[in-house]
Amino acid sequence: MFVFIILEKKKCYGYELIQDIKVEFDIDVGEGTLYPLLVRLAKEGLLSPQWEEQPSGIPRKYYSISSEGKSVLASMKTYAGSILKKINE
Amino acid sequence: MKAISFDNQSAQRVYNDYMQRCRRATSILSEKDREDVLLEINSHIYEFLTANNTKDQMETLLNVLDRLGAPEETLKDIVAAKKIGQATLTFNPKHLIQALVLNLTNGVIYFILFVLFLFEIAFPILIILKLIYPDHVGLFINSNGAFQYGYMSESGSGGISIGFHSHAKVTELLGSWFIPVSLLTAVLIYLGIIFLLKIVKKNKTK
Repeated sequence: MFVFIILEKKKCYGYELIQDIKVEFDIDVGEGTLYPLLVRLAKEGLLSPQWEEQPSGIPRKYYSISSEGKSVLASMKTYAGSILKKINE
Repeated sequence: MKAISFDNQSAQRVYNDYMQRCRRATSILSEKDREDVLLEINSHIYEFLTANNTKDQMETLLNVLDRLGAPEETLKDIVAAKKIGQATLTFNPKHLIQALVLNLTNGVIYFILFVLFLFEIAFPILIILKLIYPDHVGLFINSNGAFQYGYMSESGSGGISIGFHSHAKVTELLGSWFIPVSLLTAVLIYLGIIFLLKIVKKNKTK
């Protein structure tokens, strides 16, 4: 869910995503956790990866959220909202 | 893929060695998937080094490699996920068995699919046995109505059997149809495994 929330705002490459999750949610996601997750989400069409050439000659793989990913995020937000509501009751 | 250059020779050797380990850990993948994984690891190392630019290249490199972990462990899940994609896309039995073995520890369903695959292998073996021992292989039914699909010798039996007792009077039902029926069953089971794998893959993500 954290990945989707970050990618909803802007496209990111792996290293950037780890840094943004750390800043936004104070969670240090390990590379060994993040990259397999990104691969699975991309395989399912929830994320759209795209290689972009860089002046350094070492390209970056940018991930953006797909329309299917956006609808999954919307369902996640609704579900999380209902859980929070029940806790507060 | 453009390799990262280091001024520090020791750092260069450590980096080269790490990338070599990544190449070995992904050797089971298709060339395209392998290149994709290696490019991303290389890109991650480069971005980390650029963002944490210090005088001690070796120290920074060791920090990023430490975060990435041993390629054999870190890349295991990525390789397993990509292998399922390759197996469901190509229908290649080699990729399918590799995908099932790599994902054996990822849930009971993969273990069930693996057992189903082993079961699937039995059919081609039975077809070969039918050609060698035509009278001993087939769909047998005895006077009690119990059946057995497989190999039956004079003394015992081997195959799928339900309530079968070899001492009762036995009749073989399929005859020369045994081979096409076995082939068709094997194909159906194979397609079933691929179909289930696709469903599991989709549900895992959600």
